Amino acid sequence: MNNKAINNRKKGCSLRMIGYELRNINGNFMTHFFGIVFPNIMSLLFSTMIGKQAPDASRPEVTISVVICMALIMPMSIMFLGYGSLYSQEVEREIPQRMHLFGFGEKSLITAKIIVHLLFLTGAMLLYAVVQTLLLDIPRPALSSLLILLVSLYLIGVIFLVIVHCLANIFRRFSVTFGVSMTIYFLLMMLTGMMGISTDQLPAIWQKIARMLPMTYISNDFAGFWQGGSYNFMPYIQSCIFLAALTGILAMYAQYRGRRVRK
Amino acid sequence: MLLTIKQLQVKYGSQTALRIEEPLSFERGERIGVIGSNGAGKTTLVKALLGLVDYQGSIITQIRPEQMAVHMQSNSYVSTMPVRRIMEMILDTNIKENRELQELIGFFEFEGCLSKRFHALSGGQKQKFTIIMVMMQKAELTFYDEVTSGLDFESRQKLTEKLVEWYRDKEDSLIIVSHYYEELEQLADKILLLDEGRVIAYGNVKELFLKYCGDAVYILENTPKNHSLAAEFRMLRSPDHLLALSCRNKEEERRMLSLFVEHNVDFKRSSSDIEIMSINAKSCFYGEAVQG
Repeated sequence: MNNKAINNRKKGCSLRMIGYELRNINGNFMTHFFGIVFPNIMSLLFSTMIGKQAPDASRPEVTISVVICMALIMPMSIMFLGYGSLYSQEVEREIPQRMHLFGFGEKSLITAKIIVHLLFLTGAMLLYAVVQTLLLDIPRPALSSLLILLVSLYLIGVIFLVIVHCLANIFRRFSVTFGVSMTIYFLLMMLTGMMGISTDQLPAIWQKIARMLPMTYISNDFAGFWQGGSYNFMPYIQSCIFLAALTGILAMYAQYRGRRVRK
Repeated sequence: MLLTIKQLQVKYGSQTALRIEEPLSFERGERIGVIGSNGAGKTTLVKALLGLVDYQGSIITQIRPEQMAVHMQSNSYVSTMPVRRIMEMILDTNIKENRELQELIGFFEFEGCLSKRFHALSGGQKQKFTIIMVMMQKAELTFYDEVTSGLDFESRQKLTEKLVEWYRDKEDSLIIVSHYYEELEQLADKILLLDEGRVIAYGNVKELFLKYCGDAVYILENTPKNHSLAAEFRMLRSPDHLLALSCRNKEEERRMLSLFVEHNVDFKRSSSDIEIMSINAKSCFYGEAVQG
């Protein structure tokens, strides 16, 4: 008879757990710096630099384009880089296993972490909106455009959290996970236009890869319908499905790798 | 019956870490000490019982892994908040409102540590932190895997005394993995001796001692003088710096005792020394002859 490892524990996600995870995330410098300070600075810096070169009439459009583009840094920094650094340190120190032994299931642990990171992302986005609105001349958006942007930011955030969660479970070392996630982070920023290089300026092969990522559409196209208008969402939706499918494959591989604990 | 192990085998790759062939049964309320050198399979056994590793064979029990509590060799927690917050989250309680938890914290003199972060705790305090939470789980079966390893002698003694005191008059079932024989002498009433993944001996401490050592053992320093005095008695296997003499009856013991008094020999008497018992059980298992 061959018996598989059992890990079905019972404690669910509680308010106390969410409070605990909030304190946990507050102790993470990476999340604060890259999730709050970095996008605000980048947006103000690029808006001023690019705005100066733009004619007066198109300056608000340029500004909103930069603001939307830099808003993408928040889900990627908080849910990918920040969560990755926090969780991979926990995995390296076998804290999740310790939690399982205290009766917490994998689902309740990750649910609490996702909720808290979404709350933090919401706070960061509110702060970003206040800072950018106060310091830049941003045109009023159409409600539907704003909602589409917000849903997209949350969706990308959750997808990236799952990706880095899987990476941490695969590598089981903070240094490796952090190195890989940092590389992916900056690579994606470059590919999707967040580093000041437009996707159209990239070599053809890189452009093809960039077009498979939803961030490219958000950073390049979303400013176009900020105040209303029509937009063909199909390529954007396809890129979301592609990224989600890729994440699903990664999650299955991480589960396969972690099916047995060997010490 | 708490649990029964039958034909249990755990492999890491091609290496067999644990192979228990004869059925082993643990009764409710028993305190089982698991001993053996590094790589004997002690922690692997704990992990198999907890369902943390795949195994072949069967572990028959009514207790699910989530009904077991465990203090692992290494227990880590996040270091971004005071341990009070971690404790309250794990136990899903408020320390101020939980008198039982307050009592346990007081018992382990842990009050002053609650505001510290985990990394700021000493080795002993870290162990106490996990022990308090493990005890609060009130599990049907509790494991302590090398709970005092890494602690200095005094901290080890104090922690063991606390554990003994806490579990005195209680009916909890415990499985205690340890390298320290004196710890098990105080905490365990049954011993499971493992070596290279195999069971060397399992049973009541007294019964195992009687089987492998006799009624009592006299332990002397290994000097030429003591060696010649001991020559007429049955000599057991012992650490190199010691001589262990077995007494099979009261008459032999009286004879031994008067000889030692007459020759002014320092000695220690024991009828439950787990270290000497383990050495001789291993020796017997591997078919090595005992002198005398």
